[in-house]
Amino acid sequence: MGAVCGAPAVDAMEAADPGAVSGMPFRSALLDNIMLLSDSYKTSHWRQYPPNTTEVYSYFESRGGKFDEICFFGLQYFMKRYLQGQVVTAEKINAAERIVNAHMGLGEMKHFNREGWEYILQKHGGKLPIVIKAVPEGMVVPVKNVLMTVVNTDPKCFWLTNYLETLLVQVWYPMTVATQSRAQKKVIMDAMMKTGTDLKAMPNKLPAPAKLITVGFQLNDFGCRGVSSMETACIGGAAHLVNFCGSDTMPGLCMAVDYYNLPLASVQGTSVPAAEHSTITSWTKAGEKDAFKNMLTQYPEGIVAVVSDSYDIYNACDQLWGNELKDLIASRAPPTGRLVVRPDSGDPKTIVVDVLERLAKHFPVTTNAAGYKVLPPYLRVIQGDGISYESLQEILSNMAAKHWAAENVLFGSGGALLQKMDRDTQKCAFKCCEAVVDGKPRPVFKDPITDQGKKSKQGRLKLVRREGKITTLTDGQGDEKEDLLVEVFRNGQITKTWTFADVRAQSEVGLPVAIFDVTSD
Amino acid sequence: MDREHHSAFRTLAEMCLLCACACALPLSMQNMFLLAQDSYKVSHWKQYPPGTQYVYSYFESRGCDNAGWNEVVFFGLQYFVKRYLLGQVVTKEKIDEAAEIYSQHFGDGVNDNPSMFYREGWEYILKEHSGRLPVHIRAVPEGMIVPTKTVLFTLVNTDPKCFWLTNFLETLLVQVWYPMTVATQSRFQKMSIAKYMEETGNEDWAVPAGTSFKLHDFGFRGVSSVESAAIGGCAHLINFLGTDTVAAMICARDYYGSKKAAGGSIPASEHSTITSWGVEGECDAMRNMLESYPEGLVACVSDSFDIWRACKDYWGDKLKDLIKGRITDTKFGRLVVRPDSGDPAETCCSILKILLEQFKEDVTTTKTGHKLLPPYIRVIQGDGVDWESIPKILEKLKKEGIAAENIGFGSGGALLQKLNRDTFKCAFKCSDIIINGESRDVFKDPITDKGKASKKGRLTLQLAHETTGFSDADKYKPRSDANPVPGGTGFLHYSTDGKYVTVASGKGDPAKDILQDVFKDGVLLSDYKLDDIRAKADIKNGPFGGGTA
Repeated sequence: MGAVCGAPAVDAMEAADPGAVSGMPFRSALLDNIMLLSDSYKTSHWRQYPPNTTEVYSYFESRGGKFDEICFFGLQYFMKRYLQGQVVTAEKINAAERIVNAHMGLGEMKHFNREGWEYILQKHGGKLPIVIKAVPEGMVVPVKNVLMTVVNTDPKCFWLTNYLETLLVQVWYPMTVATQSRAQKKVIMDAMMKTGTDLKAMPNKLPAPAKLITVGFQLNDFGCRGVSSMETACIGGAAHLVNFCGSDTMPGLCMAVDYYNLPLASVQGTSVPAAEHSTITSWTKAGEKDAFKNMLTQYPEGIVAVVSDSYDIYNACDQLWGNELKDLIASRAPPTGRLVVRPDSGDPKTIVVDVLERLAKHFPVTTNAAGYKVLPPYLRVIQGDGISYESLQEILSNMAAKHWAAENVLFGSGGALLQKMDRDTQKCAFKCCEAVVDGKPRPVFKDPITDQGKKSKQGRLKLVRREGKITTLTDGQGDEKEDLLVEVFRNGQITKTWTFADVRAQSEVGLPVAIFDVTSD
Repeated sequence: MDREHHSAFRTLAEMCLLCACACALPLSMQNMFLLAQDSYKVSHWKQYPPGTQYVYSYFESRGCDNAGWNEVVFFGLQYFVKRYLLGQVVTKEKIDEAAEIYSQHFGDGVNDNPSMFYREGWEYILKEHSGRLPVHIRAVPEGMIVPTKTVLFTLVNTDPKCFWLTNFLETLLVQVWYPMTVATQSRFQKMSIAKYMEETGNEDWAVPAGTSFKLHDFGFRGVSSVESAAIGGCAHLINFLGTDTVAAMICARDYYGSKKAAGGSIPASEHSTITSWGVEGECDAMRNMLESYPEGLVACVSDSFDIWRACKDYWGDKLKDLIKGRITDTKFGRLVVRPDSGDPAETCCSILKILLEQFKEDVTTTKTGHKLLPPYIRVIQGDGVDWESIPKILEKLKKEGIAAENIGFGSGGALLQKLNRDTFKCAFKCSDIIINGESRDVFKDPITDKGKASKKGRLTLQLAHETTGFSDADKYKPRSDANPVPGGTGFLHYSTDGKYVTVASGKGDPAKDILQDVFKDGVLLSDYKLDDIRAKADIKNGPFGGGTA
């Protein structure tokens, strides 16, 4: 595979399966070819615009959905990963042409726009002649507003704007993850405040000693195995980190570090040692106590989480944690010395309270100023099964009804946090709203009589603040200076880079307490 | 780390795994193998019992809540193996970098914590195994249809010092849930389409007819990443030939040995290429589609403003002769009309009625008496299509006397995104462990959820009729009030159709095992090709040799 160095030599479709030949982990270079990162039909669109079209201007929005406001995040990843710099080369053109024309039927039609891509290579050094403007990353924007606009800068490349739709629309995913995770943060903060936790008194600002005991660790990302690929884990995991610190999805951390300049130092303390079923059940049923004890002694300091439902969660709480291992738990050094008991089956609504009640029989429980019960600082519960935006609210309200403070329980969420959502969750769409034909701009829109909700905006768009409210101006109205959209990409260059601290600062606007010390990043 | 990149750089790309040349990639993004993990896995090496030598785990679907979905198509493991596991995956640089990141990650907020990451373990693999993974994977052949609640693959370490490695790989390997679930769901839709085609008199089942192009992948933009598009799109291609997800063909080509383009597509408009002509110019935009692509298939979205007007006045009148002229003695062509809004069943039925009326002189009737449009015109529904809406639409058409052959489907989010690990309840569990030379069964069986009980011991998958010499007592019985033994009793897990049996507790016959060697010590041992997978997963009347009508 020496040929992979430098420009990967890509053969015709028939030279298949280098993965098997190489005997090494193989990433197909074709997945780094911008000309192939589009829907097939897009390869045919350059023939379809009106004659003398010179500009196509399109925008991205959430047309509504589960949440009334969205947290915009993730565009920078796609730009850095796939769009910036020279992305068109002669080799890539050849590779893309073979595949597209083999795929699109009637090869003689030559749907692949070779001339167009060669023009970009020659005239623009293989850099994409487009401008992207977007909402600052992390910003919270009401739905039905423009979030991003894309337009070509070279009149000959009018077809390029919407060729990029497929890739750019994938921003729906990090945006939707960040939006839902932020909504869960609000739910948790509200519940904690209502049940007597003084959020402001917690060591919220990061980094700080004992920071593991903050809102930032109340919802932990367990989603790595439940997403559809490692790249998705990167993107979705980072989107959750916009709102929280706790994550077991390492690829998400790496993405925040590498694409959003999250300092490695601030990755500190973002997970804790924890057992899984295999590391408990391998001691056999009779050995469960030894397995538990091993967890406490192997990790004598700090937080350790132990899954406790392998056979009988109630026996584990009453007999093992509550009796035989009680002293070992109570002797863990404050403030972070702590056992976190993890049930992993049963109805989440009731199992959490059941476990709390069992533990309360064996450990000293205090009552806070608001009248809610709190386990001793060396003991907490984590629920990581069946956690979603909806179930979180049910569990927390059930706890409050039984007089348990929200701070007793941490949460872990996998599939619901990173996988159980789709482009319709926030109805994300990318539509052309203006074209320049024969030198004249014309507003462009769709408005199907079969669905009024799909009507699109028209003309040049601006996102502005009017009387404190964020709103979209259409048809070129408004002043450039008041536009909240920021130019982030021009002709192959990223023209504005957001740091993870910028993103987090934006996302915390409107929340009761800011938990990130963004100044130190 | 170089933070100021001026060219598109790769996150998951392990370009540096493939070549020694220095790429300007941040290290952590190249180091996907050590870092593509759940954090807690990193701490597990300290948690197994003393003397542990081998950890043996398996993957299964614990069932599906949708009625009748009792089987899966096993697909996708080969991608993960080729992409992430082959050859030398551990190097000194990667160990150093992972050590640094994990040390920060597990720190207490002030101090690093270097004790979590098992540096010695990884250095041992680098030194003793040249960085190749000492594990053995056996799996069901890709493309095989297997009942749920059956072992699908097993994993065990081959070096007793690397007992901790087996479940370290869980996070990555469990992602097989995704291609397997896409392939399975896409296949159920194929069965549903084939059923209605048969019931409304279809007679031509060979490529490119029959079901081959009846469900087109529109999902690229609606998935969560390019890599997911490649994997999920390829999973759909084992059942169908139509795709707009270009990445899917790349996956088929580079990981499943597809020598030709694994899927086909046709030129088609999108709203922007129609609406940019203006409301008044819609008919011109449509004419341009027919004239720009004078031969072959062309699809045109027709709901930009008024789908009824488009079908009746434009396609059915002003442009009618152009459409009819697509088929002559020397050429074949077809217009495919695409609605994209409204209630799918109602809209499809209404526009088909309009088109059947407008082109009535050439309409034919199938052997079951259902109306069929002339070959130069068809409809594709690409909005709101999923496994539930397809039979609803086709049922309505059938009742209205309209053949299923008139319509094709496009599906995006529902095909590639609206599914999750719980759809088929995919789980990876440890079932056997060897401690100081002694094997012991391992299982979980929470009293709080009977569905989560796992199988015990070493496993084989066998044909039921080949599995003889056992008694009734050997049949697995789950824990219940009458049978309170944790983990249940017996070791023969029969599939619901009675054809297969997962033999647990090491009682199986390795010679009869359906599981095949896939990977051992860094080397690929089975290499499945798309064509074979397609044939295996095909259905009655399917396009890949699954039987003819």
